[in-house]
Amino acid sequence: MPEKYFLLRRKPVFRGPAVLLLLSVLTAATPALAHLALIFAYAEGDTIHTESAFVPDTPVRQGKILVMDKKTEKVLLTGQTDDRGKFSFKIPAEAAAQKMDLEIVLEAAMGHRAEWLLKADSYLTGAGAGKTAPPAGAASPSPAAAPETKAGDPERQRFEEALNQALERQLAPLREKLTELSIRRTSLPDIIGGIGYILGLFGLWAYFQSKRIKNP
Amino acid sequence: MHISEGVLSPAVLAGGAALAVVGAAVGLKKIDYEAIPRVAILSAAFFVASLIHVPIGPVGVHLVLNGLMGLLLGWMAVPAILIALFLQALLFQFGGLTVLGVNTVTMAAPAVFCFYAYRGLLRRPGMAAGVAAFAGGATAILLSGGLVAAALITTGQAFLQVAELVLLAHIPVMIIEGVITLFIFLFLKKVRPEMLEGIYA
Repeated sequence: MPEKYFLLRRKPVFRGPAVLLLLSVLTAATPALAHLALIFAYAEGDTIHTESAFVPDTPVRQGKILVMDKKTEKVLLTGQTDDRGKFSFKIPAEAAAQKMDLEIVLEAAMGHRAEWLLKADSYLTGAGAGKTAPPAGAASPSPAAAPETKAGDPERQRFEEALNQALERQLAPLREKLTELSIRRTSLPDIIGGIGYILGLFGLWAYFQSKRIKNP
Repeated sequence: MHISEGVLSPAVLAGGAALAVVGAAVGLKKIDYEAIPRVAILSAAFFVASLIHVPIGPVGVHLVLNGLMGLLLGWMAVPAILIALFLQALLFQFGGLTVLGVNTVTMAAPAVFCFYAYRGLLRRPGMAAGVAAFAGGATAILLSGGLVAAALITTGQAFLQVAELVLLAHIPVMIIEGVITLFIFLFLKKVRPEMLEGIYA
């Protein structure tokens, strides 16, 4: 009588989920999550900063960074993260000139890879909208503030520039925070939901199996 | 342990997917009515284990528990791991849907291997079974690391270099998983021996 057998077994079998639940609550309580590489990038003035980490908080040391044009997939420059998982680079002149959306790829060890899309508007605002990029090499330094192309009152221009720089300085931490917040992290509902899916799926299966055994 | 999306070539992805489908089919055939709860619990355990972070070693790593699954489930570990990995990809963004096949193979193949390699020893009483349980937990991680490195050769990374890194990173995990597998095995043997019926079948 398989049905009766199952009922008899029920009590011991259901101790497992309780242990799992406890486990999941424990893991969620400690901020230790799993092994997933992440990268995020934000612009500050004419520099783009990137930060790479394995979730939750191990920095990716000596990870390879590729900066690519989103449209053509052309690699503009490559770099390596430092011991804190950071890598910064000057905005490449051609990227600024053509308003490329930058795709920043992290290649960490053991097949971990992460991407971050940095839209042109979000990194070009820094030094003025109509900025013409200085003809500098990819990783070579360029002047901190680029001259405005629009003709206008020189004093007004200088003022705007100074304002832009000040704003940029003030906004950079905010931007970093926002970027960090936009990264989706594993939450307790995800964990419990996943366990629910698994038990539910197998429960469904057991249900149909039990039907089949009842009416062969 | 999870290889990310966009790293491997389509050929490797397709090969992994094909192997995973075959393995899962074999596993599903072996699951009978009484085994369903066992598979469900271990699948859920695997799903959660990846969230347990092991903060030792050069890169952050997590528990895998594929050795334990292999010892308790044999071939049935393949569908159990596949489902757990699918949900991890969906809910946690670990690995990815296109890499699901390859990731299933790298974690489930060592599980099945360990089942057949250590089944004989596990049936024996006393010390031998305990040693086999520890070895099963550790070997599965070692082999998984090897398979990850093998999958990555095709991307042009030097096998030895990657294998060395994967191995170094996973030495602490091997020991921890060996101990966990040992304790769970001893616990089940004493308290809930019917969980181990796969070994004696």
